[in-house]
Amino acid sequence: MAYGTVNAEQMTTQSGFTLGAGNSSSFKNRFINGNMAISQRGTSFTNPASGDYTLDRYQYRSTNSSQTLTVIQNAGSVTPPVGFSYYLGCTMTSAYSPISTDRFAIGQNIEGFNMADFAWGTANAKAVTLSFWVYSSLTGTFGGAVKNSIEDYAYPFSFTINSANTWEFKTVAITGPTAGTWVGATNGIGARIYWSLGAGSTRQGTAGTWAVADYWSATGAVNICATNGATFYVTGAQFEVGTVATSFDYRSYGTEYLLCLRYTFVWNSNGQSYNWIGTSGFTTGSGATVNFNYPVQMRATPTVTFSEQNKFIADYYNGNATSTAMSASFGTQNAIRINLTASTPTNYPTFIANNGDAGNRTITFNSEL
Amino acid sequence: MYKLLKDPTYGQVKDVQRLSDLACIPFDPDNTDYQAYLKWVAEGNTPLPADEGAI
Repeated sequence: MAYGTVNAEQMTTQSGFTLGAGNSSSFKNRFINGNMAISQRGTSFTNPASGDYTLDRYQYRSTNSSQTLTVIQNAGSVTPPVGFSYYLGCTMTSAYSPISTDRFAIGQNIEGFNMADFAWGTANAKAVTLSFWVYSSLTGTFGGAVKNSIEDYAYPFSFTINSANTWEFKTVAITGPTAGTWVGATNGIGARIYWSLGAGSTRQGTAGTWAVADYWSATGAVNICATNGATFYVTGAQFEVGTVATSFDYRSYGTEYLLCLRYTFVWNSNGQSYNWIGTSGFTTGSGATVNFNYPVQMRATPTVTFSEQNKFIADYYNGNATSTAMSASFGTQNAIRINLTASTPTNYPTFIANNGDAGNRTITFNSEL
Repeated sequence: MYKLLKDPTYGQVKDVQRLSDLACIPFDPDNTDYQAYLKWVAEGNTPLPADEGAI
């Protein structure tokens, strides 16, 4: 018996659920943390510097620190759109009018391995669709851009917010770029996707077309950063193959968290006293070294930052020694050495732990793009 | 500003410390902090030497 084929970009059930084109059954959404639920670094970020990460996987970029803002998970405590519990909330805390070369934006860099099937930069480049929920105190035409890693090829896009302080669903169709430099199946930046908070005239380009330029927004878009107190909230972000937006790829919290861990892992003592990090194979005078395995393989050998230098201890069978310095060394994508320097000798066997005051200690392993 | 970081066990320098937040940055070309460090060096800067001795 011969069977026909279904060749459609979108199939919609009677109850309104949709399946999209291409890889619709697995990892449809190439954004990680699209529902803004994961925020290992904390939930509130005041005046992040350019390049800083906020909620997991979302990076802030700026050209002038005079433009200030907060980025807060669920800022303002408005009710998220139906089906979502969290959103990324930007609030401007200054009024800054961008000069021609300025750009302020927040968005996500997608790893090359996670979008190599797009075949961007080839004759087979696939069209994709960006969709998201947005809420702002302002109305008008807003902008953003999809860019390549080296930021010399960009697709500005625009979307209209019709009503202030109201969640609205937006979709942006993006043609597959057949030119430009793209990293393919590597652990580099496959694509940058930013919502603009403000862009000067030379950072704005014609919406809906690829250009050999470092564009960050669409021509004529609202500069949110020019209004002190202006808000810009986003959730339900999805970046998928096809020319239509389909229903949000709702993944389990555990799955989404694991996906985030490839880029950032924050070890947290959660206020538990003497929370051991690992066992030292040896001690070297006044200190100890332990091997620490990350929960998942990280994108690259991570940068390691300790919340405090003097709040960890080498804990051994007949005492402990408080750290005077903490460091990490000899890392790989899978494990790293955590080194504790103490002012007093340590002894076997030794565990490195946060100290006994029940304070919250963190060690951040960062291999973001 | 950066300072080279010596592994306390073997004494090898395979990391650099960013002094603003004491972050330990590995010599991994795929690490974006290391890329920023290399750019800083290319601009003519020199990191502080590693501390002598081991823990």
